[in-house]
Amino acid sequence: MDTYFLKQEDLPRFYERISQNFELFVPVKVESSFKVKCEYGFSLPTEDYLLKKYPEANKEEIVFNEYRSVEPVRAFFTHFKEDICSYFKGNGGLEEKPVAICGVKNCDLFALKILDYVFLGGNEEDPAYKARRENALIVASDCTAFKEVCFCRAFEIDPFACEGFDFNLSPISNGYLLDVATKKAKLIGDSMMDMLTPASFGQLSGRSAKRDSVVSRIDEHLEYHKIPKKEALQDIVVSGFNSPVWNEQMKTCVECGGCIFICDTCHCFLLFDEKEGENAKRMRVWDGCLLKNFSTVAGGANPLKSRYMRLRNRYMKKFDFFVSNLGFQGCCGCGRCIDVCPGKIDIRYILRKLYEEKHIPSN
Amino acid sequence: MKKNIYRPIEAVIEDVITETPAIKTFVLRPKEDFSFRTGQFVEMTVPGVGEGPFTPSSNPKIKDRFDLTVMNVGCITSKLHKMKPGESLGIRGPYGKGYPLDTFKGKDILIVGGGVGLAPLRSLLFSLFNDIDDYNKVVLRCGARTPNDIVYKNVIPEWAKTKKTDIVISVDVGEPSWKGKVGLVTTILNDLPVNLKNAVGIVCGPPIMMKFVTLKLLDLGFKPKDIYLSMEKNMSCGLGKCGHCRVGKFYACKDGPVFTYEELKDIHDIWD
Repeated sequence: MDTYFLKQEDLPRFYERISQNFELFVPVKVESSFKVKCEYGFSLPTEDYLLKKYPEANKEEIVFNEYRSVEPVRAFFTHFKEDICSYFKGNGGLEEKPVAICGVKNCDLFALKILDYVFLGGNEEDPAYKARRENALIVASDCTAFKEVCFCRAFEIDPFACEGFDFNLSPISNGYLLDVATKKAKLIGDSMMDMLTPASFGQLSGRSAKRDSVVSRIDEHLEYHKIPKKEALQDIVVSGFNSPVWNEQMKTCVECGGCIFICDTCHCFLLFDEKEGENAKRMRVWDGCLLKNFSTVAGGANPLKSRYMRLRNRYMKKFDFFVSNLGFQGCCGCGRCIDVCPGKIDIRYILRKLYEEKHIPSN
Repeated sequence: MKKNIYRPIEAVIEDVITETPAIKTFVLRPKEDFSFRTGQFVEMTVPGVGEGPFTPSSNPKIKDRFDLTVMNVGCITSKLHKMKPGESLGIRGPYGKGYPLDTFKGKDILIVGGGVGLAPLRSLLFSLFNDIDDYNKVVLRCGARTPNDIVYKNVIPEWAKTKKTDIVISVDVGEPSWKGKVGLVTTILNDLPVNLKNAVGIVCGPPIMMKFVTLKLLDLGFKPKDIYLSMEKNMSCGLGKCGHCRVGKFYACKDGPVFTYEELKDIHDIWD
């Protein structure tokens, strides 16, 4: 991997260059309604970032996103609702302009490992996901700040990326360090050598110091939340199957499905068919186990009939199923589900409770 | 053109057989190559309506057509029940692992079916009959609500003539003309003509029936690894991707739908 220095004023040219070949998405800052306040004195940002189509964004509003965007990165690879095929004839397959996504964070990259396992692993590959994934250009970037809800480091996921991207941007004095990690990135990098200079030792060590400082601030923040370590997750959800925490936390659930749709690692979907005149087509729409009829069978029986069962199911999937099948948990610590929940259901609280019930039994 | 794993192939309905007031068997002729192993399932599409998982009920040795025996319970099946020969359905699959016939060889095979759960078991029976000399004995015990609800009732007497085969049917509620057994299927599982030291039990039916049959078989001395269960889940993709049919660390579509009780016994709420 080669690392270069890119001057602050050349970033727009970098975007411009990428947008020649890709449908480019760039971060813009928005005032958001997701404001989880820090209860113990840390001063943490509450603004949010959206990833906007580059041609639709005003050049002035494009910013460097200090932490992950509102939308989960999976939204670029499986769309909320999409045509998946027609039958029994027609449908020449997918023709889409490949996307380039800027401002992808390390939590998102961790989530992509899970999505790759789901959509590319197993007996068959999902053709739409595969095409989008292979064609996409991922421009990751370091987190320079974090939201109250961010808890990546609880699972030893760093707020900066070392792999899984094409480019990575790390802000330093007067510009950025640009990692060029893949052949695809190198092709683009080679064509803009006039704006790149090899990174100096001083710049690289400056980046390390910045990264370390963000890590230690998150770690300090997470001490307050006492989130169990990743090695304990499977054990505590399995032994906490009958925990009162599920019922207690579910009291404020309004079944909006926000948590499952904003989640970086939720992947469930439903196939359904539509008919327009003579042509029937198959659609795919995101689905999730917090929704009432997720597991209802044709006769009407529903194994997840109560809300607490559905909440628990989500944790079983993320912390039992994925640990058994993939070797690590299906959660990247992005905290989007905490941000979005109108009922203030907090994954960090639930995991902490489950841990305490198992390890620190109250008398 | 790239293969689309969600696109069904076309299959033409060749015949429709009314089995009971609520259950019909559809004989389908796929327009492309298609074959299955017994116990595997397909995703069957009613065009423009949707698709759902069904296990073929015919002999897997027959390659050019296969049967689906379907109860009219939901949105897709009620549309299906109105369809006629000549109309087209969609088929994806087959999916799942099916019954491990090799493991059954040389053994006494107890098959317990309930209601329309007999559909996949019919395919299994035909597979066993194909090579009946490889198996020690086939014992079928099936239950239905009333004599009218017994699927395949006209052909079951024929099956009973197969060598090494022993069949008993029971109904929950009898009627004057019914001369057979009356009572839940668990009541005809005493004094089974099987050697428990060398037997497997295969169960398919509604979850509540599978639960009590499994408990009964354990009680009789069957080992959890020798009890095979078909899990009823709402498989949507059939490929282990859509997430609907998770059972503990398994997906019913990919790792099942047939599981041993040994695999399932530590998972919560499997009968719900």
